[in-house]
Amino acid sequence: MIDDPRDEGPPPGDAAAPAVETPPPTEASSAPAAPEKRDQNRRSEGRRITERKSENVRAAIRDELAEDAPEAEERQAEKQAHGESDAIIELNHIYLAFDAPILEDVSFVARQGETICIVGESGTGKSTILKLILRLLVPEKGGVCIGGKDITSLTFAEALEVRQTMGMVFQGAALFDSMSVFENIAYPLREHTELDDDEIEQRVREKLQFVDLDPDRVMEQLPSELSGGMRKRVGVARGMADNPQIMLYDEPTSGLDPLTTGTITRLIMKLQRELNVTSVVVSHDIRSVFRMATKVAVLNERRIAFFGTPEEMAASDDKYLRDFLGGY
Amino acid sequence: MHRHAARLPPLTERFAQATKAKLRTVQDYFSLAGRAIGFIFARPFYGQDVIQQMDEIGVKSLGIVLLTGFFTGMVLALQSSVQLQTFGATMYIGRLVSASMIRELGPVLAGLMVAGRVGSGIAAQLGSMRVTEQIDALNTLGTDPIKKLVTPRVLAALIMLPILTIINDFVGILGGNLISSLLVGIPSGLYWRTVWEQIASDGFTLHFIPNDFVQGIMKPFVFGGVISISACYFGLNTTGGTEGVGQSTTRTVVLSSILILILDYFLTQILLSLFAP
Repeated sequence: MIDDPRDEGPPPGDAAAPAVETPPPTEASSAPAAPEKRDQNRRSEGRRITERKSENVRAAIRDELAEDAPEAEERQAEKQAHGESDAIIELNHIYLAFDAPILEDVSFVARQGETICIVGESGTGKSTILKLILRLLVPEKGGVCIGGKDITSLTFAEALEVRQTMGMVFQGAALFDSMSVFENIAYPLREHTELDDDEIEQRVREKLQFVDLDPDRVMEQLPSELSGGMRKRVGVARGMADNPQIMLYDEPTSGLDPLTTGTITRLIMKLQRELNVTSVVVSHDIRSVFRMATKVAVLNERRIAFFGTPEEMAASDDKYLRDFLGGY
Repeated sequence: MHRHAARLPPLTERFAQATKAKLRTVQDYFSLAGRAIGFIFARPFYGQDVIQQMDEIGVKSLGIVLLTGFFTGMVLALQSSVQLQTFGATMYIGRLVSASMIRELGPVLAGLMVAGRVGSGIAAQLGSMRVTEQIDALNTLGTDPIKKLVTPRVLAALIMLPILTIINDFVGILGGNLISSLLVGIPSGLYWRTVWEQIASDGFTLHFIPNDFVQGIMKPFVFGGVISISACYFGLNTTGGTEGVGQSTTRTVVLSSILILILDYFLTQILLSLFAP
């Protein structure tokens, strides 16, 4: 089962909330002080609250990391086993602009089996990075390499072939609403494989079971008949139908309740663990990010402000990172 | 006031930018048309989708086409009977109805009806697919959306609109027959003989295809292309959520209807010069 009782706990940001709501008693409540003294007290009080909030965030992240410690160790072991050479996705000094610059000097590498989570404020170009990897967009400067091959100079037809090695899960699942769940998952198999109908059905059942859905119950349903979480899971099943080497997720947990968020997060981790796919996840959900990420890329002002492990991110004293984490 | 004016680019520059944007739109439109038609002959063929679209565009439009054709034929017979009576030439009602229906009203009416019913439907469907990322999903699944979505619709429209027009023509002439026999008192045999005389009077292509038919079929073929490509173009380029979908459908119907009427004139000019008796 993917569902985990641990998913029911509050996100790390919530742990910091009481510190803000119940400040410790200060001198302000005792004898009346001069205006300068009062300002000074207020400032020092503010500092204490910020420090306490920051400490609470760190504590919550430490808990989060400890919770998934075995997986973190596994990830480390995997990384050592694979070495540093097997880059699957490589972005080199990407510059992209439409009317205004969107991304500037963005570089990172995703190795075999890694899960890279891209976080950042809304409108910082996170989803644009996924479109670059899929070659739905071409950068003005810099290169995107998939499996060591530069995809920026490919023709449209060649790009379609490269996309077949990837699976994409969209924010709203983007299931074809005129097709049943079965037809949706079978679509990439019918398009790009020589499998016969029985083999396709077997593959669809297998993928639905992988995402914890009962094939007999959902296969003939239309996407409009499914709940948000189920749609996302069908989206994952469709993305992985053709056994891609790379999985891309655009806000996989947005708009979902905490339980379903946990389910989707576990699903992404299961996919990485059991099938060793390389994943890039764009997410706003910092709790999920800390659970599943091998590396976290933080986008700020069109550039990557931080790229490292969740542990390194949690330990960082960078003001922007602290503010960013404190916002959750 | 002056400061605000100074921030705006000069009028010539704005005009140049607007012209460039319009030209780019025209270029994109023809590029989409070229690719969609080119894909008709390239694998993989989405035969099932073509049949589904033929049903959607053709079979499901049959009702409105029958209705409009029949009533147009009836009103044509009614109006012409009044005019022809003054010359004592009511026996020529059949000629007038057939020439009007086959050459002009059949293709244009079928085109306008399909533009309203099918064009708006295609634009709304593709527009919704665009705003719910289904077009992007197709792309990421390694399928060319133009091949999968546009080509079957264009092909289906190219096939079905001439067929709908033939039905429209026939039903219109039948409506004329009804009025001329019931209200004007012209026997059906005479009516149909005058209809055939009109068709035969314009000569034949390859000795057996009446020139009127060739003219009548060429137009809906072009109209089918215009409607389907306009609908797909606006649908695929939809932005701005559900409001954008509404705008795309409106633009499709307006542009298709205008193009049908404008192209009808130019096609008539060309076809008349080609098939001059």
